[in-house]
Amino acid sequence: MKKPLLGEFETPSSNKYRVGPLQSIHMPMRRFREYEDVDYVIVGVGSAGGVLLQRLARAGFNVVGLEAGPFWDTEHDWVSDEAGSHELYWTEPRVTGGTDPLALGANNCGKGVGGGSVHWAAFTPRLHPSDFEIYTRDSVGADWPITYDEIRPYYEQLELEMPVSGPAYYPWGHPHGYAYGPHPMGGVGNALIKGCSALNIPVSIGGPVAILSGSHGDRPHCIYRGFCIQGCKVGAKASTLVTHVPDAIRTGAEIRDRSMVSRIELGKDGRVTGVHYFDNEGHSHFQRAKAVIVSGYAIETPRLLLNSACPGHEKGLGNSSGTIGRYLMAQAGNVVLGRFEQPVRMYKAPPAHALTEEFYETNPKNDFARGFAIQTVGPLPVAFGKQVLAAKKAWGWGLRREMMDYNHWAAFGLLGEILPWKDNAVTLSEDKDCFGLPIAHVTFNLHENDKKLIKAAREKTEEVMQAAGATEVVQEARYAHLVGACRMGSDPRTSVVDKFGRSHDIPNLFVCDGSLFPTQGSANPGLTIQALAARTADYLVSQGERIFTSNERDMTTTPIRRELAPPETWGKGVPRLK
Amino acid sequence: MKSHFDGVDPILCPRDPKTGEPLPPRSQPGYYPGFSTLSQGAFWDTATRAVVDKRVKHPPEPKFFAAEAWTFWTTVFAHLIPQTDRIPERQIPIVATLDHRLANDQTAGYRYETMPPDRVVYEIGIEAIDREAQHRYRGKFLVLPYLEQDLVLKAIHDGKPEAAQEIWKHMSVHRFWQMIMGDAIDAYYAHPWAWDEIGFGGPAYPRAYTRLERGEPEPWEVEEQRYVWLAPANSASAEVDSSPSHHAESGQHSLPVRSSKGARR
Repeated sequence: MKKPLLGEFETPSSNKYRVGPLQSIHMPMRRFREYEDVDYVIVGVGSAGGVLLQRLARAGFNVVGLEAGPFWDTEHDWVSDEAGSHELYWTEPRVTGGTDPLALGANNCGKGVGGGSVHWAAFTPRLHPSDFEIYTRDSVGADWPITYDEIRPYYEQLELEMPVSGPAYYPWGHPHGYAYGPHPMGGVGNALIKGCSALNIPVSIGGPVAILSGSHGDRPHCIYRGFCIQGCKVGAKASTLVTHVPDAIRTGAEIRDRSMVSRIELGKDGRVTGVHYFDNEGHSHFQRAKAVIVSGYAIETPRLLLNSACPGHEKGLGNSSGTIGRYLMAQAGNVVLGRFEQPVRMYKAPPAHALTEEFYETNPKNDFARGFAIQTVGPLPVAFGKQVLAAKKAWGWGLRREMMDYNHWAAFGLLGEILPWKDNAVTLSEDKDCFGLPIAHVTFNLHENDKKLIKAAREKTEEVMQAAGATEVVQEARYAHLVGACRMGSDPRTSVVDKFGRSHDIPNLFVCDGSLFPTQGSANPGLTIQALAARTADYLVSQGERIFTSNERDMTTTPIRRELAPPETWGKGVPRLK
Repeated sequence: MKSHFDGVDPILCPRDPKTGEPLPPRSQPGYYPGFSTLSQGAFWDTATRAVVDKRVKHPPEPKFFAAEAWTFWTTVFAHLIPQTDRIPERQIPIVATLDHRLANDQTAGYRYETMPPDRVVYEIGIEAIDREAQHRYRGKFLVLPYLEQDLVLKAIHDGKPEAAQEIWKHMSVHRFWQMIMGDAIDAYYAHPWAWDEIGFGGPAYPRAYTRLERGEPEPWEVEEQRYVWLAPANSASAEVDSSPSHHAESGQHSLPVRSSKGARR
C-alpha cells in the first residue's frame, strides 16, 4: 500500500479531543463536585443541550451537561463507513408500535456529545410564519405560544453560528437569504432541479444546509464524500460538538459523558434539587443543581419525566396536564427512487443539497390541511439496499441485480407534515433497560389528514422524479425526525411547559429540545431546536438568580443577546429581502 | 483442465440470456471490471482503513449460534443474497456478521411490538421455516433441493406461510422478513467487494470526491461496462415489483402485481 495520505494519528492523549482535522478541544475542563449546588444541570448534550450549555457558561453560570453517550474524538471514533457508525445512534432498547410504527435508532436518535446533530443530514429550513398558528388558520393541530417574529432573530443568529449555506434568495415562508454561499450540485440535486423546472416548480439549489461551502475558522469546507449521516469527520457539517461545545468548555462548562440520568429529584418545597445518574461503570450518583433542563429529545425527555414520578407527581414529574409523552410527531419521509439511463452516482455530494417548499402551505384545493416539501437524499449502499427491499420487494437474485444498478438511481425524500394527535405517544413499557429503568414504548398512528397528505405528497414527488427523466419510479414509506411529546403552550391544562420551556408545575424545571414543538411544519426541525435553545438561554440569563429562588413566573420576552454567541460567529451580514 | 465452475454447481449459476448456458463464477461480478475500493486505502483515514481491513481480513469467529443453527442460517442467506456468481474465495460472509451482532445483543435500537427480541427471532425462525418446509415438501428445510428451499422462503416473502401459525401469531411475517433481509443486506453491502460490484466509490476522507455531476467517475473510479445475465433457472427470487407506487405504508405486506424483468438487460 502507498503511504497513507495523512500519515498516522497523533498519540492519543487524555486532555485533547480532535473534533475535526484542524479543530480540537483541550482538556482538562472544569470539574464540579457532586455536592456542589451547580446552577444548571442539562440532561443531554445534543442540538439543544449544546447551545444551552454554551450560552449559559458564557453568561457565567455554573453548568454541567450530563450526556448518556461518549465525548467523541472524531478522528479516532468516526469512520467513512455505514456499518462502522453504529455507535452514533441511540440503540438502547425501546418498543415501537401502533398502526404505523416508527423506526427509531439510526433513523432519528443520536447518542454522544452533539446528539442527533452529529448524524443529521443538516437541512436547515426555517418554519414558516403559518406554522405558529395552524389551529387559527386551518382548525387543525395547535397554535404555538410564540409567533414567527419572536423566533426570527434566533433563526438569523443560528444560521450564522452553524453557519448555514444556501441561496441568496429563499422564496418560501418569510423570504430571506443566506450569508454563506450555496453548494454545487450532485447528481440527485440536478435531477430535482430538472424535474421541478420541467413542471414549473421553484427549487432551492445548494441549501439551506448547515454544511460549509467554504472554510470557516478552524473548520474546513465540505469535500462531498456523502457520509453526512455517519458523522462528518471533515468538520464541515455543523454539529453542536464542533459549533458550540468547544466554546462551552472554554468558558467553564463541564460535560460529563457516558452519564445516564435516571431520575430527577423533587424537594419538599416542590422544586427540583438535582438528578440521579449512572456513570459508565453503572455506579449511581446524584448531582445537586439549582435548576434542571431536560434536553433528551422527544423520546428520552418524556421517558425521564415519566420515570421521575414521585408522591404528588404520580403520573410523572410535572405532568398535571397528562400530556407528557402525548402529541408525539414524526414527519412523513417517503423515499421516492427513480432509475435513470445515465449514471447518477448519488453517493457523491451531501445527501442534503436541494429542496422545494412550493407545496408547504395549506392549499384550499386539497382535501387535507397543511403540506409538504421535496428534498434530495443520497442513500449509501446499505441504506439503498433496504429501500430496494421495501420499494421493490426485491430479494435473492432480484436484489443482487437491482443493486448492481445502484449508480443509476436517484432518491428524493418527501417531508410531509403530520399533525399532533393525542394517541401518538411515548409511554413506559414493562420492559427494563440495563439500569433497571422502564424503557420507552412509542405508539404511532396515522390519521385521515395525514394519509391524504402523504398520498398527495408521494404522487407529486413521483411526478417530479418522472419529469426529471426517470424511466422507473418506486417508493418506500417511512418517517423522519421526532418532535413533540412535551409540548409548550399557554394553557397548563393542555401543555407541559410554557413558551420558555419552563414546566407549568415546577418552577425550576425546564424542557428544551424538539419535544417542545406543538406542531412541526414540513421543515427539518434541527434549526428550530437550536433557535429555541438560544431563546430559552436568553430568557434564563435575563431572569438571573430569580430562577433559583423564586416561584414567580415572568413571561416578558427579552431582546436577543448576540454577545452570548461563540466569538467570530456574529456581526456578519444577513441579507434581508423583505 | 480445471473447471470454470470449480467449487460451484453450474446449475446454481446465473445464465447467459442468449445461450441459456451458465456463466462461470467471477472474482468480481458487476459492471465495473477492475474497480477496487480497497486499492484506494492509502487515501482513507486510519480509523476507516482499520474498520474496513478488519471486515475483509478477520470476519468475526462464531460465538452465538450453535453449529446447527449456523449451518441453517448459512443456507437461508445463500437464498436471500445468493453468491454463486462469485468464486468461493470471494464470497462475502453474512452469518458471521449476524452472529457477532447477536452475540453482543446489538440491535437497531427498537423492537416492533409485533416482534420478539432479535435473539428469539433467530431461534424460532428456524422452527417456522422448517415447519413450512415440512408442510410444503415433506422434508426439513436443509434437505430440500435448492428450488424448493427458495419457494419455502418465497412463501414468507409473500407474507403467506401456511404452517406454524402459532409462531407467526407472535411474530409478524413481514417484520421477520424485513429483519433477516436487513441482516443480509447489512453484511453484504457493507463489504468492499460488494462496493466494487455496484460501483460505489467507498470512503473518501480526506481525499474528497471531485466530479459531482452527470454521474462521472473520479479518475480512480471505473466507467460502467454492462453485460447481460439471467438468474439461475432453478431460482424463485429473480422477480421484483416495479409498479410505480404500491402501498407499502405501515408495514402492510401487500401482494403487489408482479412483473418479471429477468431478461430486460
